[in-house]
Amino acid sequence: MLYALIFFPMAAAFAVWLTGRKNRRARNLLAAGTTVIELLLAVAVMLRPDMQTGIDGVVGLGIHFETDGFRKVYLVVIAFLWTMTMLLGNEYFSHYTTENRYYFFNLMTLGATMGVFLARDLFTALIFFEIMSFTSYTWVIQEETPAATKAANTYLAVAVIGGLAALMGLFLLQFTLGTTEICALYDAARACDNKAILYVAGGCVLFGFGAKAGMFPLHIWLPKAHPVAPAPASALLSGLLTKSGIFGMLAITCNLFRNDPAWGAVILALGTVTMLLGALLALFSIDLKRTLACSSVSQIGFILIGIGMLGILGEENALAARGALLHMLNHSLFKLVLFLCAAVVYMNLHALNLNDVRGFGRRKPVLMLAFLLGALGIGGVPLLNGYVSKTLLHESIVEGIAATGAFALRAVEWIFLFSGGVTVAYMTKLFVALFVEAHPTKQAAFDAKRPYMNRISTAVLLLCALALPALGLSASVSMNAIADLGTDFFRAGALEHAVHYLSWENLKGGLISIAIGVALYFGFVRTVLMKREGGVRVYVNRWPEWLDLEELLYRPLLLKWLPGAFGAIAALFGENRLSAPLARGVLHGSEAVAALFGKNKLTAPLAKGAMKLGLLLSHALSDSLDAAILLLRKTAYRELAQPVEDEARASFSYRLGRQIDRIEQRHGKEAQGSRRYAEGVYRAHKTVRDTSHRLFGNLSFALLMLVAALCFVFFYMLILH
Amino acid sequence: MSPFLLPICISIPFLSGLLLLACKRASFRAIADAALVLSFLTSAFCWMLLISGVNGAYEPVRFAPALALSFSLDGLGRFFVGIVSVLWPLTVLYARSYMKNEEHIAMFFGFFTVSYGATLGVAMADNLFTMYCFYEILTLATVPLVLQPMTKAAVHATRMYFLFSIGGAAFAFAAMMFLLVNGASGSFAPGGNLAAHPFASRDVTYLFWLFGFLGFSVKAAIFPLHAWLPKASVAPTPVTALLHAVAVVKSGAFAVIRLTHYCFGVDLLSGSWAQTVAILLASFTIVYGSSIAVRETHFKRRLAYSTVANLSYILFGAVLMTPAGLSASLMHMAAHANIKILGFFCAGAVLHGTGRTSIYELDGLGRRMPVTFACFTLASFALMGLPPFSGFVSKWQLLTAAAQSSGIAYVGAGALLLSALLTAIYMLTCVRRAWFPARDSNLDGLETVHEASWEMLVPMVLLAAATLLCGVFAKPILAATDAIAFGLI
Repeated sequence: MLYALIFFPMAAAFAVWLTGRKNRRARNLLAAGTTVIELLLAVAVMLRPDMQTGIDGVVGLGIHFETDGFRKVYLVVIAFLWTMTMLLGNEYFSHYTTENRYYFFNLMTLGATMGVFLARDLFTALIFFEIMSFTSYTWVIQEETPAATKAANTYLAVAVIGGLAALMGLFLLQFTLGTTEICALYDAARACDNKAILYVAGGCVLFGFGAKAGMFPLHIWLPKAHPVAPAPASALLSGLLTKSGIFGMLAITCNLFRNDPAWGAVILALGTVTMLLGALLALFSIDLKRTLACSSVSQIGFILIGIGMLGILGEENALAARGALLHMLNHSLFKLVLFLCAAVVYMNLHALNLNDVRGFGRRKPVLMLAFLLGALGIGGVPLLNGYVSKTLLHESIVEGIAATGAFALRAVEWIFLFSGGVTVAYMTKLFVALFVEAHPTKQAAFDAKRPYMNRISTAVLLLCALALPALGLSASVSMNAIADLGTDFFRAGALEHAVHYLSWENLKGGLISIAIGVALYFGFVRTVLMKREGGVRVYVNRWPEWLDLEELLYRPLLLKWLPGAFGAIAALFGENRLSAPLARGVLHGSEAVAALFGKNKLTAPLAKGAMKLGLLLSHALSDSLDAAILLLRKTAYRELAQPVEDEARASFSYRLGRQIDRIEQRHGKEAQGSRRYAEGVYRAHKTVRDTSHRLFGNLSFALLMLVAALCFVFFYMLILH
Repeated sequence: MSPFLLPICISIPFLSGLLLLACKRASFRAIADAALVLSFLTSAFCWMLLISGVNGAYEPVRFAPALALSFSLDGLGRFFVGIVSVLWPLTVLYARSYMKNEEHIAMFFGFFTVSYGATLGVAMADNLFTMYCFYEILTLATVPLVLQPMTKAAVHATRMYFLFSIGGAAFAFAAMMFLLVNGASGSFAPGGNLAAHPFASRDVTYLFWLFGFLGFSVKAAIFPLHAWLPKASVAPTPVTALLHAVAVVKSGAFAVIRLTHYCFGVDLLSGSWAQTVAILLASFTIVYGSSIAVRETHFKRRLAYSTVANLSYILFGAVLMTPAGLSASLMHMAAHANIKILGFFCAGAVLHGTGRTSIYELDGLGRRMPVTFACFTLASFALMGLPPFSGFVSKWQLLTAAAQSSGIAYVGAGALLLSALLTAIYMLTCVRRAWFPARDSNLDGLETVHEASWEMLVPMVLLAAATLLCGVFAKPILAATDAIAFGLI
């Protein structure tokens, strides 16, 4: 059954692809049917007791799967999100021409993502993680615009480097502990003396999975990839693929480093930066999907805080575990709703800039309701599901403060509340832009677009959106039940007392965030991030252009500095001459000297002279080899002169051929021109001669080497033997 | 079965190849079909021998007390015969379509078939002298194949190939003489057949082993003796694919393994300075080959540089001088043979169909040649060492072996990791260009491009499936390599 979850969509992908080449409608039905069957399968797995299975020996170490409460919940979430995006995607892709590829890779990714969450050991997780990375690459590059190509390159680079790092980490774990099985890691780690290597291994795994999750400083691909990918794919990238990264991080945090405060502190610090940075990026962004992408980064930060607190709180980490799990789940659902709304906007307008799409949502109640619920949910407004998980996370920090009294945790708490405020502010910004403000010129055209989506899409959107308050309102039943299911995987302790989500103490945190958000919106967004242009207030991007970690550090590092270093090595040993870099060095040196003394009248001629000398030297060095070769070719290796015509006539083969010609003539046949034997035999002779010349030239060298070796052997026999 | 069948198995392709050489006037179809049938027959013969097993050795001639031609088939030989006999018929099938419009067809297929015999000879040799003889015959038989296009570049490449090979052989000859003189002239034996250090000074043994290592490594393209391999990629693609990614270069690695593990013996060598030198050279070549491959823009040459790096993976595993290292090395030999021949087949299909040779000319070809580039994509993933492909298993084994040995081997482990990243760069750039051309790229002339013929596609698809299957079901292969490495078969 578990195999079916993974391999059924992969197999169906081929069928869908083949169908899509002939018939669009049939393909859409088949793809939607596949995801629905997958959802049913996931529910069936959910209802059955925990399972374990695996095949030993496959791919060297074998692949193993299992289910437990947490995994089951996520299997259903994955299948649900996939079904919803697939159903809406049918309308979204109706104007595409290359969408068949998307459907194929979409279903492949579905299988791979299932594989990640079903994995019993990290090795299996990594296999499917890599498959997922590569198949989802095609989503990012789907549009094939220059921006998409660039974003896809970034995505691929992060995936490849992250994958390699994770592989290295797993290798170290396998080598030191002899296992990568998730639930066996704890005992194995306790028995291991060499803690340092465990931290190195853990760091590698964290790097690999954190890259996919969008953890700072590896978040760079998210804000680039989400805006260019098709919106249904963005929902999956943001809602699920980032979670597969979280899955890997959880696997090591809850097992390898169970209750390890140092490890927790590292994750907490990274999470805090991620949370704040993502929120600020989202606040500044003026692109609908980019805002949502940056928001994903920020929300991942919230989840990471929960994971960090797991380590810091030690045994009493129930609150953190429940908060992290529920926030994962909630974030998947928010982003589904919000990106689907963005999909609706994009498939109508083919624009995402807030100044272009503003006012589109006016008088469109369904879209407005869906977006509003998503925004309120992610903003942490009470009675919706986001409030519940944020409250739990907040509580866990408060508990941490009570337990340790560390000042750093107080700072984290305030950053947490502030980031919550920023979330409210940027969601308000999006909401106001889409649904309140009117477009200065195109409002009538926007209002006239009707119907702006088909019935299936409407139903999908409503279903997804209404799930949020449904969960939020029944929090003490539904969400508690889900959190209980996760206890096993998180290795969390028991909850000491039930959490009253709507008690004043808990409401206060949420209200502080909302107050900060409102203040930020009116005090910052409407003043600093907007300006008047021809009587209309427009959104402007105030984020400094150069402040981009990727452009500032990663791209130069990978594309300039490292290849430069290898290039230098290669130039030193390779086809390039040894002297070329040396010469360049001399040149740069003399230039530097010239720059040092250049302004001074006295030393300027001197410096110039030095520079000239450097140039001369470098030319002499770099050309010396060519000169040597030229000289040799002119003297020792001079090509032999071409045979002249007279020589041909005088040669034996020519005369032999002429005799044959004569004999033929006597028998009444006369060949003309080049068909004469005289020419032919001579040419054959010449070919033989040239070939043997070439051959003997080489053979003589080879023999020379052989003789040298023989001499060596004799020498050795005489002297040593 | 009787070991008498071994020389017969070798002489079938050898003699029939010589016969093919004489058929200058026969049509292309006749020659190509004859070569195809011959190679299939030989492979069938090989598999009959592999399955039923051969006991003992057959010695047709003994020139002197220490010099004899002798044939046998032990575990290592069987492994190599297995690789070669699967790939050869596939390549001939590929060549049957690829060489259609070329000249000197009889010469090409003749020498191609002769090379098969020579390679089998290397694999089935029972002692160092026999192996050395066939090793040299292989060199001579493949020279005309590189020369086949008869262009200036081909002449230059041939000359380089010849010089390097003969020079290397001279060094290997020195090592062979050392062994013969010091009483290690018998059959190959796991663990070595040199009883003890012949001299008070061990350095003499080390020095001669290093000579042998470098000499045989010329064919395995170790730095700084690698320059001939990228040059030789001017040869027709079947030659580059089979000989310069599998048969010839792997013979070099095979000979190094024979010399190290079956003649000198790891007990005498491990821990010596000579081993350190060999490991460092191999590690450096790994990084060097991959770095240059990233820089290279010629499609086939990029793959050739990648071969340079990957051959050193094999050498690295072999000179770790542990059973785990040897086992990993053999696994990588099999995995890389499969992957790289596939990569070259794809490059050849592009070259044959479109005449395009550079990476930047690959823009958008994926849409026009989907099967070819799907296969190439799989080959890239496998070469990068992505699970669950075969390259992953072998690299994992190599890393494990390196981590188990200590000290200098860590350098190699670092080189492996760095090289994995570089591999991803140089393979994926090709893949990306083919499938997802940038908007501003020049897509002229794409309409006339068609998918390759079935003769070229069938080997590619089979090999692509094999990269996946050998990865997923790696257990039996690993069991075989382990058994060989521990001297059990």
